[in-house]
Amino acid sequence: MLIFAASDKGGTGRSVTSANLAYHRALAGDDVCYLDFDFGSPTATAVFDVPDARQAAEDRGLHAYLIGEVSEPVRVDVWADTEHHVLRNRPSGSGRLVLMPGDLSGGEFATTDDNLHRCVDLLLRLNSEFDVIVVDLSAGRSYAVDMVLEATSQRELSGVDARWLVFHRWTRQHVAAAAGLVYGKRGIVAGGVARGHDEDTLRGAIRFVRAAVPDPESALWSQVSATQSAWMRACDRDLKQLASTLGIGYSQVLGSVPLEPVLQWREQLITDEDVLDSQIATMETWRALSDLAGRLTDDKYWEQA
Amino acid sequence: MTTASGQSARPVLACGEVRTCLLPSFQPLDGRAAAQLLRLRADEQVRVSERPNLYALSPEVLTGIDCRLPTSNGAKVRAVGTVAARAALTEGRVLQATAHFSAPAAGPDLRRPWGDYLVRPGLVESFGKLPEQAAAEGALRGGGRGELDLGMIAEGLLAQLLRHPLLDHKAPFKSRRTHLRWAARRVPPGEAPSLERFTLAEDGLRTVELKVPEDTPTAAVAGLCEDLALHDWLLTTVVHMLDNSRLGAADGPSAVLALRPAVDHLLHLWMPRAHVDRTLGHLWDVLEREPGFTRQWRNLVQRIRDQLAVQAIPLLHQALSTR
Repeated sequence: MLIFAASDKGGTGRSVTSANLAYHRALAGDDVCYLDFDFGSPTATAVFDVPDARQAAEDRGLHAYLIGEVSEPVRVDVWADTEHHVLRNRPSGSGRLVLMPGDLSGGEFATTDDNLHRCVDLLLRLNSEFDVIVVDLSAGRSYAVDMVLEATSQRELSGVDARWLVFHRWTRQHVAAAAGLVYGKRGIVAGGVARGHDEDTLRGAIRFVRAAVPDPESALWSQVSATQSAWMRACDRDLKQLASTLGIGYSQVLGSVPLEPVLQWREQLITDEDVLDSQIATMETWRALSDLAGRLTDDKYWEQA
Repeated sequence: MTTASGQSARPVLACGEVRTCLLPSFQPLDGRAAAQLLRLRADEQVRVSERPNLYALSPEVLTGIDCRLPTSNGAKVRAVGTVAARAALTEGRVLQATAHFSAPAAGPDLRRPWGDYLVRPGLVESFGKLPEQAAAEGALRGGGRGELDLGMIAEGLLAQLLRHPLLDHKAPFKSRRTHLRWAARRVPPGEAPSLERFTLAEDGLRTVELKVPEDTPTAAVAGLCEDLALHDWLLTTVVHMLDNSRLGAADGPSAVLALRPAVDHLLHLWMPRAHVDRTLGHLWDVLEREPGFTRQWRNLVQRIRDQLAVQAIPLLHQALSTR
């Protein structure tokens, strides 16, 4: 299963959340591969805490592979190479967790036939090896988005399941921008259809993830004044109304991730130790990530609305 | 050993890389479909044999090269010639691509017209003397940037085959590819071939060092290494499957379900030497003694069968008690 992680803007927590999803799937026993297609600003080595890989991927990462400079992109075995003290102890029963980092020097590039072939070959190959392949795409309608839309429209990939997660923050601007990214005139759906995707199938394979959502009911806000509380509720209601008007309402949402300082500031994987021992991350966040990870392959959440 | 440049036409070294993977198709291919998949050239037939197992071998395709050879001591050796690549499909299930070349002890200091190289397919000549040992070790280490990369050529062939419309990319289970690099030093005719070393490295990389008489065709050596790679891949894949099945930890039925693909698709593929050149077949004995390929395989198979039997007992009880 291919999972493409897209977002309208930067700062939606797309990379860190999708990395956490990959981590949860690996914990559950799947063999997982995480591809950093955020060509402008590769961050995955930091998220998985594999600083040595950053150097290794200097000129042998995904970017160098796609433009044909190396025959294979560098692979990093996260369990073995991470400096994160919790991740280093691979739990028994967990699957493989492999990172393919982007190059430090790699920028955006145009999709040529050769690049496209290499992208298709890579996805086919990883699909035969991994249960879940998470592809983190640069924000907006980037070349990365175009390339995977083009790649997945090829006959060779027609037998491979692909799903899209569109991350957005829970604000008016982000909600509108996410809807535009998917349904807009130059959006993912239009771009996919232009490349030969079936519109209904593609729409059915896209779900939204609301990130950094403050829950007015949470204990975090229990001390705010009554007026503040009422205002928060009203805003939340308005946003839900807006989202639903723009076609990204409840039925199109795979899940929400609460506003979580650890995700916002540390931008790393949240481990069970963060939740249970040091308790710097909340149980709600852990559960939200775990639920989201499970829903990636749960067809119930992907049926046509 | 061959050192004089006058004998340069005689190859002193043969190197290759085999990539082995599960064919990404829901059903195994039958002989006819296998021949269709492996038809790399219009002018040559695919060889298909059905005894003792279904095995299809493609014709060879050539890649012209003019670049540095990888060497273990950093010596810069420019080489020109052609690398031969071919693909094999066993029981319509396991696909392999091999790229290989032979090299003489020395070559001319000038590049000749391509026609001269094309009439000797699979031969790569160095400019001047070939540092045999360093080139053999370099081939096992693999090519870096700007150096001859056999893996890239094998991978290119594999990628081309995987784009074939016959394949639906709905493989019955997930599995890793393995890479096997080999280097065969040539010994005078009449001397016995020998397998010097077989190593398992990380990331699915294996290396094999051989000594083979000069009169043994490189294609036969490639065939032996494909056979080793195939069986090593079977071991690697079934071991991984057993690891992932959480036997003993997960509750019975789900562990057994995870092993089902091994029973359906892999257990019948074990047949060392089935298509290996007769003069090289006994090199398998080395691996059978140490580490004992077939011994490990039997153990794995027995473990899977025992699990199936154990899981069947409650069902039997149920069936008897509801009668």
